[in-house]
Amino acid sequence: MVLAELGGRITRAIQQMSNVTIIDEKALNECLNEITRALLQSDVSFPLVKEMQTNIKKIVNLEDLAAGHNKRRIIEQAIFSELCKMLDPGKPAFAPKKAKPSIVMFVGLQGAGKTTTCTKYAYYHQKKGYKPALVCADTFRAGAFDQLKQNATKAKIPFYGSYTESDPVKIAVEGVDRFKKENCDLIIVDTSGRHKQEASLFEEMRQVAEATKPDLVIFVMDSSIGQAAFDQAQAFKQSVAVGAVIITKMDGHAKGGGALSAVAATKSPVIFIGTGEHMDEFEVFDVKPFVSRLLGMGDWSGFVDK
Amino acid sequence: FSSVFQSITGKANLEKTDLGPALKALKERLMTKNVAEEIAEKLCESVEASLEGKKLSSFTRISSTVQAAMEDALVRILTPRRSIDILRDVNAAKEQRRPYVVVFVGVNGVGKSTNLAKVAYWLQQHKVSVMMAACDTFRAGAVEQLRTHARRLQIPIYEKGYAKDPAAVAKEAIKVATDNGSDVVLVDTAGRMQDNEPLMRALSNLINGNQPDLVLFVGEALVGNDAVDQLSKFNQKLSDLSTSGNPRLIDGILLTKFDTIDDKVGAALSMVYISGSPVMFVGCGQSYTDLKKLNVKAIVKTLLK
Ligand SMILES: Nc1nc2c(ncn2[C@@H]2O[C@H](COP(=O)(O)OP(=O)(O)OP(=O)(O)O)[C@@H](O)[C@H]2O)c(=O)[nH]1
Ligand SMILES: Nc1nc2c(ncn2[C@@H]2O[C@H](COP(=O)(O)OP(=O)(O)OP(=O)(O)O)[C@@H](O)[C@H]2O)c(=O)[nH]1
Ligand SMILES: [Mg+2]
Ligand SMILES: [Mg+2]
Repeated sequence: MVLAELGGRITRAIQQMSNVTIIDEKALNECLNEITRALLQSDVSFPLVKEMQTNIKKIVNLEDLAAGHNKRRIIEQAIFSELCKMLDPGKPAFAPKKAKPSIVMFVGLQGAGKTTTCTKYAYYHQKKGYKPALVCADTFRAGAFDQLKQNATKAKIPFYGSYTESDPVKIAVEGVDRFKKENCDLIIVDTSGRHKQEASLFEEMRQVAEATKPDLVIFVMDSSIGQAAFDQAQAFKQSVAVGAVIITKMDGHAKGGGALSAVAATKSPVIFIGTGEHMDEFEVFDVKPFVSRLLGMGDWSGFVDK
Repeated sequence: FSSVFQSITGKANLEKTDLGPALKALKERLMTKNVAEEIAEKLCESVEASLEGKKLSSFTRISSTVQAAMEDALVRILTPRRSIDILRDVNAAKEQRRPYVVVFVGVNGVGKSTNLAKVAYWLQQHKVSVMMAACDTFRAGAVEQLRTHARRLQIPIYEKGYAKDPAAVAKEAIKVATDNGSDVVLVDTAGRMQDNEPLMRALSNLINGNQPDLVLFVGEALVGNDAVDQLSKFNQKLSDLSTSGNPRLIDGILLTKFDTIDDKVGAALSMVYISGSPVMFVGCGQSYTDLKKLNVKAIVKTLLK
């Protein structure tokens, strides 16, 4: 995963700084500039990077540091906690319980990977003993129902959808009702791709959510997204109660910084990442080990769980 | 900060230190507009090199001099060096009694299939007869997706279902089109990551084995720094993995989802800069009519705003 590259660069920047004998304003600035550049190359949103830079400077405040304090350590810790803060909104996502029906709705931009990820999410839980089901409430995209149907069939997961009905709200409600009756405990609703510039699409999403009352709304985001990530994610959050994020296509080359921006915008945790087109290419996401790994582990483990 | 705006009328020649702050501000502006960091950096370096040692004309501020130089550079980069006139080339192929073949390539989910349908619609409007070739034989629903577009547009489609060799399907489709006198064949391919060697090799086979007239790279305007890697690796892999002595590379770019990015138009610049290929179409919505030409002036204006 290329995010490791980002970690490597940040670690190197800190090392370089600690090679100089006196850590003064200039050394700190050079270090922060290098980190800023690494973050921007990873597509973290520009305002977020600036904010992080300011925060670290505030925490570190060189003049206030009494002589004898380990400045390098303090700077390291500030960077670690700022990165964690960006990725960890501090509240865990809703977790479905077995034998009690939960409804999970997937939303996101066009082509982000919702439909593929719905099946991965269902398949993951099926292996854990849940009884998942898939509802195709995408009545817009050509071939959407065939896509979900073929995926679901392959994973042996029941599905619901229609080739003729054009109202996504109606299908979503019908599908959810049917699978509740069939005692499925994880009912997953796939929706069309949409973007904030088209208000009617957001209104449709709001209606599907209102009609199905999901326990969890998952925002799916492509790891290659650039500076538009923050605004789009924020707009989704403002229309429906996004409670978790899944980042897809992490098997690509993108560094996934747009993902950090999405977390910041939705104040929701990343719960899984997608690492390929196949059903089982799906990993649980955990912030602290992730950031530790991002920053080259070792030294950092001491900060975990503080 | 005020130094950025200071007039230095009367000062002899521009030096690096004079230009620094204005260039830094400009680089940041480009990055907030979603230009890849590497590209923004390179652009600023070239603007710096072009201005260093120059005399500043009287009553101009450094910032506006830098901005003007950047504007020139951006227009130069975005204005295509080679122009491709598809309709003219379609006619030329027709005179040779063969179909004009376009292959759509790109990473997953960027909009290849949808924009293939838009291009088909655009060709129809110009009285060109089109055939579609369903060569994404991998992704669930890909064949039905293309079939739906073909039905709506009343265009013939050549398809062989899933798990078939896409290069062979393309070959058969082109043969059918030659026999039935279609003017154009639009070949849909599966999305693939630029680092995925087996899939890139398969794409290279499809392209080199069928020698299309146009290889269109489809990239989404949403993409950030990865734009640079996508374009350079597609070209590099198409070249490295080719078994032919004269490999085919990307000819042009189709930029999609332009309606989702507000003023963050930088991906257009990153893609053109790194590949040297022109943006031939811009996708700006999900219906058949949402296909436009790139407006270079508007992009440059937005980038510098
Ligand atoms: N390499 C890779 N490809 C992925 C991953 N997740 C999804 N994809 C691919 O991305 C493309 C788009 O995925 P979809 O699931 O159709 O996306 P979507 O969000 O449902 O798209 P719309 O419904 O049109 O908005 C497909 O080619 C998927 O196979 C991933 O983790 N890695
Ligand atoms: N807003 C917007 N959406 C678009 C545009 N072009 C395509 N899309 C949407 O993007 C999603 C993915 O489009 P596809 O055409 O399936 O993408 P693809 O590249 O063929 O995907 P794979 O074959 O799975 O790799 C669909 O929901 C399209 O409707 C565009 O210009 N604007
Ligand atoms: Mg979908
Ligand atoms: Mg496709």
